[in-house]
Amino acid sequence: MTTQTPTASASPFNENDLQRLVEFAQLVTSAQDAMSDDMVNRLASTMSEGISLLDRLTRNDGLTHLLREIDRPENQRFIICMSNAFTQASRELATAPPLGGGLGGLLKLISDPGVQEGLRLLAFVGSRMSTSLREVHRRGL
Amino acid sequence: MRILVVGGGTAGTIVANNLSRRLTGEIRAGKVRITMLSASDRHMYQPGLLYVAFGQMTPDQLYRDQASLLEPTIEFHVDPVKQFQLDKNKVVTEGGKTHEYDILVIATGSRMVPEETPGMTEGAEFFYTEASAVKMYKKLREFKGGRVMVAVGVPHKCPIAPVEVMFSLDDFFKARGIRDKVQLKYHYPIGRLHTIENVAKWAKPEFERIGVDTETLFNIKEIDAKNKIMKSEEGTEVEYDLLIVIPAHRGMEVIERDNLGSGGWIPTDRYSLKMNGHDNVYVVGDTTNLPVSKTGSAAHFQAEAISENIASIIKVGEPVRDYDGKVYCFIEAGHDKATYAMFNYLNPPDLKPPSKPMHWFKISYNHMYWTSVRGLL
Repeated sequence: MTTQTPTASASPFNENDLQRLVEFAQLVTSAQDAMSDDMVNRLASTMSEGISLLDRLTRNDGLTHLLREIDRPENQRFIICMSNAFTQASRELATAPPLGGGLGGLLKLISDPGVQEGLRLLAFVGSRMSTSLREVHRRGL
Repeated sequence: MRILVVGGGTAGTIVANNLSRRLTGEIRAGKVRITMLSASDRHMYQPGLLYVAFGQMTPDQLYRDQASLLEPTIEFHVDPVKQFQLDKNKVVTEGGKTHEYDILVIATGSRMVPEETPGMTEGAEFFYTEASAVKMYKKLREFKGGRVMVAVGVPHKCPIAPVEVMFSLDDFFKARGIRDKVQLKYHYPIGRLHTIENVAKWAKPEFERIGVDTETLFNIKEIDAKNKIMKSEEGTEVEYDLLIVIPAHRGMEVIERDNLGSGGWIPTDRYSLKMNGHDNVYVVGDTTNLPVSKTGSAAHFQAEAISENIASIIKVGEPVRDYDGKVYCFIEAGHDKATYAMFNYLNPPDLKPPSKPMHWFKISYNHMYWTSVRGLL
């Protein structure tokens, strides 16, 4: 019968672990030394306001519905198109000469097929929105 | 179901917000209405007054608009109650309006009464209001050295405050470079350094460490402001150069006037938090006569139990839990260190050695408080 003596490798720790613990303790100490009450105050204040804001956002029915709608691929494409339109419109407006004004200027503007398409889009949205608003009020939501 | 919350302090605000969150569907369906009556349109973070007294916070940092802290479904009126008519399930306000209720939550809080001790208002500094805290800070700034005596009236709000004052005084005078010219002495009304035994045991060596003299069984009788002498009920006298007191507190006048409870403290069932003899009236925070500390944290834990039970009664007809007496108090222990005391009806606190992270936790909580009263934490 032979007896086995425990070897160093049976220990749950080795020198590297101890070194890491020392390094971790140094990190914590250094973070403590670097922090001041003012920093903690600012961080805590931001966290507090941030959490409150997040709470309001996540419990806002309108926003959560909007987020659900935005998740639809067609709405994502719509937002992409809308962002592009803003960029292009901003550039075009910067270089276009100012309009003459008056009824003539207005007629010239709305005779553009692109403007008419835009107005039609707005009319669609407005029409759908008033139907939806009527429904929401009717159901008392 | 009409729920009326009287009082817009920590307890009342948490109850109202917590109920609003739990009963969103019922409120939308018009089955539940929550109304709050408060004496002020502003909400004060009261523990911050101690920081004001030592120049670590300014008064404006203590306030938020009460309406901004409430859920939008809560009907809020700045119109304090003048008369409780519990037999008729209604209250009458200072503004002359009558509010009927099905469930009433009384959270009117407490107030200090230094005027009830002869000479205290003229002869002592204290910090339980904005004005008195600012005045105390100015006195501390002017102080050149001598005997600083601290004494405690009972009952009082925030039981840890007297202990924290001693550490803050030690820190303050050290920072000003005059600690060696100041004698600090602590007077407490019972036979040990604190009403909570384990806090008393912990405070003794801590006070010795920072050089604070102590005297127990000292109940303030009167203060001779002219000759700067404080006299005790026990017959002893103490001379001082600067006197700081924790004044005795009472519940609000309307509670005493309407005979709801002696001293303004309403007899309350320690578990259900219902007013004794009234099944639809709950009492929360300082207003109760419970054998627990009059602190924001007690008010917080009580408020959670009450709102959970009221919501459950509305939804399923039965309450779901009891208040277990839980209190959690931070203790600022000087030198940017803090510890805490957590206890309930059955378990006394077990204080840990003070540490810097706990101090940071405490000063963080000074900001996180606003998420607490909104019913989030």
